[in-house]
Amino acid sequence: MNELELKQLWQTTSEKLEKTIAVNRINSEEISRLKIYHFISLMKPIKIFTLLAGIVWVGAGLIILSNLYLNSFSEMSKFFLFSASVQVGLTGLALFMYLYQLFTIYQVDITEPILRAQKKIASLKTSTLWVTRILCLQLPFWTTFWWTEMMLQEWNVLQWLLTAGITLAFSFAAIWLFLNIKSKNSDKKWFRLIFNGMEWAPLINAMALLDQLDEYNADIEPETRVRL
Amino acid sequence: MKENERRLQFQNIVEQHKGIFYRVARAYCENEDDRQDLVQEMMIQVWQSLHRYDNQFRISTWLYRISLNVAISFYRKNTRRDTKYSVPNEQMAEISEEEKTAKERQLSLLEQFICELKEIDRALMLLYLEDKSHAEIAEILGTSVSNVGTKIGRIKEKLKSRFSQLKP
Repeated sequence: MNELELKQLWQTTSEKLEKTIAVNRINSEEISRLKIYHFISLMKPIKIFTLLAGIVWVGAGLIILSNLYLNSFSEMSKFFLFSASVQVGLTGLALFMYLYQLFTIYQVDITEPILRAQKKIASLKTSTLWVTRILCLQLPFWTTFWWTEMMLQEWNVLQWLLTAGITLAFSFAAIWLFLNIKSKNSDKKWFRLIFNGMEWAPLINAMALLDQLDEYNADIEPETRVRL
Repeated sequence: MKENERRLQFQNIVEQHKGIFYRVARAYCENEDDRQDLVQEMMIQVWQSLHRYDNQFRISTWLYRISLNVAISFYRKNTRRDTKYSVPNEQMAEISEEEKTAKERQLSLLEQFICELKEIDRALMLLYLEDKSHAEIAEILGTSVSNVGTKIGRIKEKLKSRFSQLKP
């Protein structure tokens, strides 16, 4: 089959397909309503639940912590206050980044050339990794909540070694994950194990798309390469 | 632009160029319900982007950009590369009986081939089959004309090899 026959084959079926299409006249009000519905439908229930849970967590955390700082600071364990403040602060930062990223993706100019628009969208999607990296930094603070000033005076060396060992291990894991959760490690086993579920599919797809775009860039002259 | 003018312009575009939406949807979605959703999303994006339309571009170039960007961005998760396209019977209605089997096989093979391509290559192949010039494809994709030529050449080689396996 030659080039001409190939195109004819495609176009013949396309024309027939087109003849069978009946597009209802859509008015602007309907389209506007659809748009709002569509944006909400883009977010799966689990994502909406996670976002709402995050907002409630950070909101409640801020209220409780503000109250403790203002009214019970002298009586409270400073370890608890510090750990809780870092937890809430990091969760708030991750939440803000996630929401900002969602809105930025939504605002990408879809009329731009394919390679440029897709590069922007895929890069924004892969920046979800930043949210995960920030949340990983919380790990050691989960082990310091229950520390008290009394521990400093009464504990023996063995108890301290065990407690400090756990916190150090969590600190090491947090820093290691923060430094290594990057697109370039996406082919590693540990990475695939962490980002295994369906909820990570858009991220993994975005990484694959970035690889495709890089292939296109590799073949062309430097001045026409796609840049953000 | 007044609301009524905008609405009229939108309706004219959809009426005159609806084929673009459906052809792109056909290349990116195997499932009919997904295609309908995708076409609806394309129309929404056209409506939202009307104010950005620049007269220096052909309307078809602009529409291909929107429909391909939407197809690639929002429907990646729905595409599976191991699936085969089925050819709707009505598309074959006007082809004679003796030709039917051969044409069906060729079309099925072509659509399967397109389905197996990566997203950007699929866009390129679609535009090539739509008989767009290399210059217009380059404008839609945002790359150089020479790169379009190189990439099309490579895809055609793969396609040729696939069709050569088809027994007459």
